[in-house]
Amino acid sequence: MSQIVLSNIRKEFGGRRGARSWTALNGVDLSIEVGEIVGILGPSGCGKSTLLNIVAGLDNKYEGQFTIQGKTIEQQIAAGFRVAYVFQEARLLPWKTVRGNVEFALKASQFPVSEWRDRVDRVLELVELTKFAEFYPQQLSGGMQQRASIARAFAIEPDILLMDEPFSALDEMTARHLRQSLLNIWSAFRTTILFVSHNAIEASFLADRIMIMGNGPGGTIREEVSMAGVQRPRSYEDGDLFEKSKAVVNALRNHSGRADLVLA
Amino acid sequence: MRISASSIPASTAPPSDTVAPASPRSLLGRPRLAGLGPHASDALISALSVLSIIGAWYIGSWTMSERVLPAPHIVAEVLYQAMRSGEIWLDIGITLGRILIAFTIAMTVAATLGFAMGLSHGASVFFRVWIVCFITIPALVIMLTCYMVVGLNDKAAILGAAIPIIPILAINIRDGVKGIDPKLLGMAKAFRASRYQRIFEIVAPQIAPILLASARFGLGLIWKMVLFAELLGRGDGIGYKIEFYYQMFNMKEVLAHALSFLVVMLFIEVAILGTLEKRIFRWRSQ
Repeated sequence: MSQIVLSNIRKEFGGRRGARSWTALNGVDLSIEVGEIVGILGPSGCGKSTLLNIVAGLDNKYEGQFTIQGKTIEQQIAAGFRVAYVFQEARLLPWKTVRGNVEFALKASQFPVSEWRDRVDRVLELVELTKFAEFYPQQLSGGMQQRASIARAFAIEPDILLMDEPFSALDEMTARHLRQSLLNIWSAFRTTILFVSHNAIEASFLADRIMIMGNGPGGTIREEVSMAGVQRPRSYEDGDLFEKSKAVVNALRNHSGRADLVLA
Repeated sequence: MRISASSIPASTAPPSDTVAPASPRSLLGRPRLAGLGPHASDALISALSVLSIIGAWYIGSWTMSERVLPAPHIVAEVLYQAMRSGEIWLDIGITLGRILIAFTIAMTVAATLGFAMGLSHGASVFFRVWIVCFITIPALVIMLTCYMVVGLNDKAAILGAAIPIIPILAINIRDGVKGIDPKLLGMAKAFRASRYQRIFEIVAPQIAPILLASARFGLGLIWKMVLFAELLGRGDGIGYKIEFYYQMFNMKEVLAHALSFLVVMLFIEVAILGTLEKRIFRWRSQ
């Protein structure tokens, strides 16, 4: 049985006080297995972030079915299911050190204080920030801040990790390095990951499956591209990956309704 | 927060962006000395700044009669004598007491209003008219009304000093509360942080600098208001003494009393608020 099942999800915004409503999602079907990495790719405004917020349980005003192992997300969270989130910006608390920021998530997930030290040390080692545990976020570069936010996400050993364009604010070389280290950590935890991206190469590099969404309004999944043929651990130089990512770019171009679209 | 600029004495700096209140706010045009620290050039500039003020005072005193504008050393001498004889301390104590009570009242009410307006749209709309009314009424009118309604006593003096400050601080705090980063709250929500964690680890650290900035700004305003209220309707305190000596055409005493309070307020600014700021912003200075 799939871990996460979304069926026929529809989400509308607005419509109050005579304002025109906007259908962000219409008829989205998606199921994700345990330990799978699924990427949602689409042009901006196609509703992919909205979909992520629904899976995160931050938005419960939608139509359709969304279950995690047959139960609602509220039931699952009450039973100890953990969701972690990596945002486009690091979103670290500037008044806490890197260690303090990771501890914030541990505290939120109600890990006993006695375990904090070991857990923080472990994840910081995985993202190569051990030396910077006692640094404040503003003393770190953008890439290091984002690594700290990845450490924070994995520290709580999430059942699902959600990422909203996690590397798009970084320069390409830093982003490449971070994608690589994300996969390294993932292989240690085997967490289910659902992420959103508008970068076809990034999605191809990370995902087992890529869901391509069409233009909004009423965004829906138009095509699914399986990346199963590309071996892990992955490398940017892999020929298979290159071929697959070309297919992804093509699919994205077809469904975004813009034949002239040039993708990086 | 631009509205208030017309209704407050020109010597007070307008509040800086309430989200980033770390910028040093000068009191009476003097640089804040708390930031000296290791920066020798800052210390030098600060010293030059103090010297330039004293120099300007000297130049002014040479062009005018000593009865109109006595030189700084004469005023300092008068102040020294008054401090030695001890009589000025009583007035300083009385005025300081009124300042502290009025300040506490003003901060409490302004914080309550500011938070209500920052967090609730309804409250914001409701209190907008109140704020505009009270920010427009001259402080003089508020004080006279207080003396008429409450009576010629300390309660009226304190209320009269506190009320004109409240709308200004309330707007300041409201803007700060509105500036709380929704992205960090979103992060806390995504990680299922408890209400306790959200309040004490996300909201409070963002509120503290807002309150500190407002406190500093409010203190700068309120001591002028208290002096004014004393001048209008009290028989003791520094404000009364300044009025008394002014009636006697004794400018040495007028300036000596003003100087005494400048020293007291500078001490509060540097020693208390400066230290508090350093504690709150330890993470910024790293």
